[in-house]
Amino acid sequence: MTPWPPLLALLIVVPLTGAVITPVVGRTRAVRSADWSLGVMLATSVIALVLVVQVARVGPFSYVVGGWVAPYGIELRFDEFGAVIAVICLLGTLAMVFSRRYAAQAMAEQRIPYYYALLLLNLTGMIGFAVTGDLFNLFVFMEILSLSGYALVAVSGEKIAEMAAFKYLVMGAISSLVILLAIGILYALTGSLNMADVTGRLAGAPAAPLAVAFGALTLGFMVKAAAFPLHIWLPDAHAIAPSPVSAILSGLVVKVGIIGMLRVYQIAYGSGAVDMRALNHVLMWLGALSIVMGAFFAVFQDDIKMMLAYSTISNIGYIIMGLGLASSYGMIGASVHVFNHAIIKATLFLGAGALIFQTGKRTLTDLAGVGHAMPWTVAAISVGAISIVGIPPTAGFVCKWYIALGAVQAGHPFFAFALVFGALFIFIYYIRMVNAFYFRQPRDPAILEVTEAPASMLVPVLILASLCLIMGVMGSLPLSFIEPAVQRLLLPLGGG
Amino acid sequence: MIAALWHNLDYAASVILFCIGLYAVITKENLIKKFMGLNIMETAVFAFIVAIGVVEGGEAPIMGAGVEPPFINPLPQALILTGIVVALSTTALALSLIIRIWKQCGTIEADELREVE
Amino acid sequence: MRRALVIFVLVAVAIPLMLAMAELPRHGSPDAPPQTHVAPYYLEHGPEEAGAENVVTAVILNYRGFDTQGEVTVIFTAMAAVVAVLVAGGAGVPADRAAAPATTPVSLIVRFIVRVLAPFIVLFSVYVILNGHVTPGGGFQGGTILGALLIALTLIMSESDARALLPQRPQRLLQAAAPLTFFAVGMIGLLLTGDYLAYPHSGPTIWIATLMLTVVEIGIGIGGAMVVATIFRTMGADR
Repeated sequence: MTPWPPLLALLIVVPLTGAVITPVVGRTRAVRSADWSLGVMLATSVIALVLVVQVARVGPFSYVVGGWVAPYGIELRFDEFGAVIAVICLLGTLAMVFSRRYAAQAMAEQRIPYYYALLLLNLTGMIGFAVTGDLFNLFVFMEILSLSGYALVAVSGEKIAEMAAFKYLVMGAISSLVILLAIGILYALTGSLNMADVTGRLAGAPAAPLAVAFGALTLGFMVKAAAFPLHIWLPDAHAIAPSPVSAILSGLVVKVGIIGMLRVYQIAYGSGAVDMRALNHVLMWLGALSIVMGAFFAVFQDDIKMMLAYSTISNIGYIIMGLGLASSYGMIGASVHVFNHAIIKATLFLGAGALIFQTGKRTLTDLAGVGHAMPWTVAAISVGAISIVGIPPTAGFVCKWYIALGAVQAGHPFFAFALVFGALFIFIYYIRMVNAFYFRQPRDPAILEVTEAPASMLVPVLILASLCLIMGVMGSLPLSFIEPAVQRLLLPLGGG
Repeated sequence: MIAALWHNLDYAASVILFCIGLYAVITKENLIKKFMGLNIMETAVFAFIVAIGVVEGGEAPIMGAGVEPPFINPLPQALILTGIVVALSTTALALSLIIRIWKQCGTIEADELREVE
Repeated sequence: MRRALVIFVLVAVAIPLMLAMAELPRHGSPDAPPQTHVAPYYLEHGPEEAGAENVVTAVILNYRGFDTQGEVTVIFTAMAAVVAVLVAGGAGVPADRAAAPATTPVSLIVRFIVRVLAPFIVLFSVYVILNGHVTPGGGFQGGTILGALLIALTLIMSESDARALLPQRPQRLLQAAAPLTFFAVGMIGLLLTGDYLAYPHSGPTIWIATLMLTVVEIGIGIGGAMVVATIFRTMGADR
C-alpha cells in the first residue's frame, strides 16, 4: 500500500462537510440525519484506520494542504500520538448509535439534526486538533470543538443545562485566549507558525517571553484538561450533558488538553531552548492533587453521572502526572491512558446513560438493586469500574503500573505513593456503586420491573466493555506502538 | 525594563486591555457584563497579534502600481480575520445561552442564579 | 478581602506579561523575526503565485486556505449551536416558522431609509466580495454587509414578507454555502493538481484558478450573510 498524502486532508474535510450537510439531510425527517451522520462517521473511520496502519508501518508522515511547502502552507502531521483519532472515530460511531433512541426521547424533533451536526463537528474538531502541525490551525480546530462542546452541553434539556454550558463557555473561552496569546508570542519570537519550524527557530530567543509563552500554553491546556484547581467547569457540564455527549466530553474532549501538552513538549524539548523542569514539577503536583481531590469528591456523590465526572478529574490527574514525570515509562503510561481511559469512561457513561434512560433515575440510592433488572448493562458497567480502578486483567492496570514505574524511574517515589493512594479512593467509590447495583435493597421495588436497555444502547456499551477486557489482555500492543514516539520526544533529554 | 517597554508600548497597551477585560470577567455579576469583559480580553489579544505585524513606515500589503516596500506583514492580519470570526461565534452562542437563562430563571445576575441553583 | 484577591490576580497576570512584552523584538522593527522569515515570501510571491494583489487575501485563500475553511466551519458551528440552543424555546413551533411579533411598530423613517438604501447596500456588498483580491475586503466583509442588510429588512418587514425573502427550502443549504464551496473547490483542486485546496497556478489553466477563487469568495459571502441573518432571526424569534 503506497501512502497517498492527501488522505490526511480528507480525514478532516470528509466529516466536516458531512456535518454541515446534516441539517439539510434531516430537514423533513430528523431520523435521516442520524443515519447520515453515522454513515459519515463510518467513512471517516475507514480513512482513520488506513492512516493508523500506515503510521505503524512507516512512522510519522506529513502533508501540506494546497501543495505549498512547509512553513508557508498549513502542514498536517500524523505521528503515533495522532493515532488517538482511532479512538475518536470508535467512540464517535458508538455515540451516534447510542444517540438514536436517546435523542428521539429527550429532544424536540427540530433540534435533532443540529444535535447530530454539532456532534460531528465536535469529533471533526478533535481529529483536526490531533493531526495539525500548525499552531494557528490548532487554535481554529480547538474552537470548532469547544464551541460545539458548549452547545452540546446546553441541549440536554436539564434545568440548569444552560448555566453549566455558560460556565463551561467562559472558562473555555478564557483558556483559548490564553493559548492564542502564547501562540502570538511564539510567532513574534520566530516569525513562523509551523510547529516543526518554530521548534527549529526558538534557540537563542529571550528567556522571559519564552517562559510566559510556555507557561500560558500549559495553563490553557490544563484548563481544557480540567486539572484540579482549574476543574470547576467540568462536573456540572459533564453530568448534565446528554449521556452520549458526556461519554465524548469525558472520554475525549478533556484529552485535548493532554494532546496539546504533548505538542508543547515536542516544541520545548525539540528546541532545547526551554527549561521545562519547573513546569514539570508544577504538572506533577497538579496531577497528584487532581488524583486525590477528584477521587475525594467522587466518594461523596450520589448522582451517578456526577460521580463519573469527578472520576474523570482523578484519571486526568494520572495522565498529567505521567507527563510531568518526563521519564519514558511515565510518558508511555500517560499516552496509553489517554486511549484506555477514553474507552473505559465511555463504557461507564454510556452504561449510566442506559440506566437513566430505562429507569428515569440517576442517584445511587434510587438505582439500588437495578443489577437484577438490567443484568447486561450493569455487568458492562462493572467491567468498566474494575478497569478504572486498575485491577490487573483490565485496561486500566497497565497504564497506572507504567506511570508508577515512571515515578520511581524519575526519582519521585512519593508520587507513586499518591497514585496508589488515589487508586484506593477510586476503589472505594466504585465498590460502593457496584454494591448498590447488586446487593442493596431497592428503595422502590418498581425498579426490578424495568426491562433491559434497547439494542441500540446495549450493543455499544457491550462493545466498549469487551474492549476494556481486550485492551487489558493485549496491554503491551499500544505500549509498543507508542514507544517510538515517546523515545523520539525524550531524545533531547538524553533518551529518558 | 521600563525603557524596553517604552519601545514596545503597543504590546504593553494590549496587556493593560487584557487586564481590564479580566477584571470585568472576575468582578461583574451580570452575565452580559461578564461576557463583555471576555470580549475586551479577546480584543486585547487580537490587537497584540496585529501589532506584531507592524513595520515602521510600512504600507498596506496591496501590490500594484506606485506602491513601494516596506509593507506591513500580511500574516497577522489574515490570522486575526479568522480570530474575529471565532470571537463573533463565541459571542453569538453566549448571548443565546443568556437568553435561555433569562427565560428560565428570570435573572442574569450570577449571584442570584447561584441561589436559584 | 475580595478586592485584595482581585488585585492580586490582576497583578499576577500583568507583571509576567509585561516582562515578556519588554523582551519581545522591538515593535515596528523591520528586522524582527516575523518580518524576516515567512512574510517576505508571501509579499514577494503572493501576487503572482496566488493571483491576488492584496496579499492578505492571498494568505487567507491560498497559503492558509485550510484555516479559512476551518473558520467558515466555526461560524457554521455557532449558527448550529444557536439554533440548537434556542429552538426548543418555541414550544413545538419550528424556529423558521415562529412568528416574531414586533414589540414596537417600526417608524416610517426607518422603513423608508432601509428601502432606499437596500439596493446600494447590495451593490456595495457585491463590490466588496468580488474585489477582495485587489482592495481591502473579500467574502467575509461583503458577506457581513449583506447579512446586515438582511437583518435590517427583517426589522421593517412583516413576518410573511421576510419569509418570502429567505426561501425555506434551500435555506439550510445556503447556510452551509461557505464550507460546501470550500469542499467543492478543494476537491476540484485535488482532481486538477493532485493536492487538496490547490489551485492550478500557471500555464493555460490559470483562468480556472481565478474562477475557483471567485467562487470561494462568493460562497463565503453568501454563507456568511445567511449565517449572520439566521443567528439574528433565531434570537429574535425566541422572545
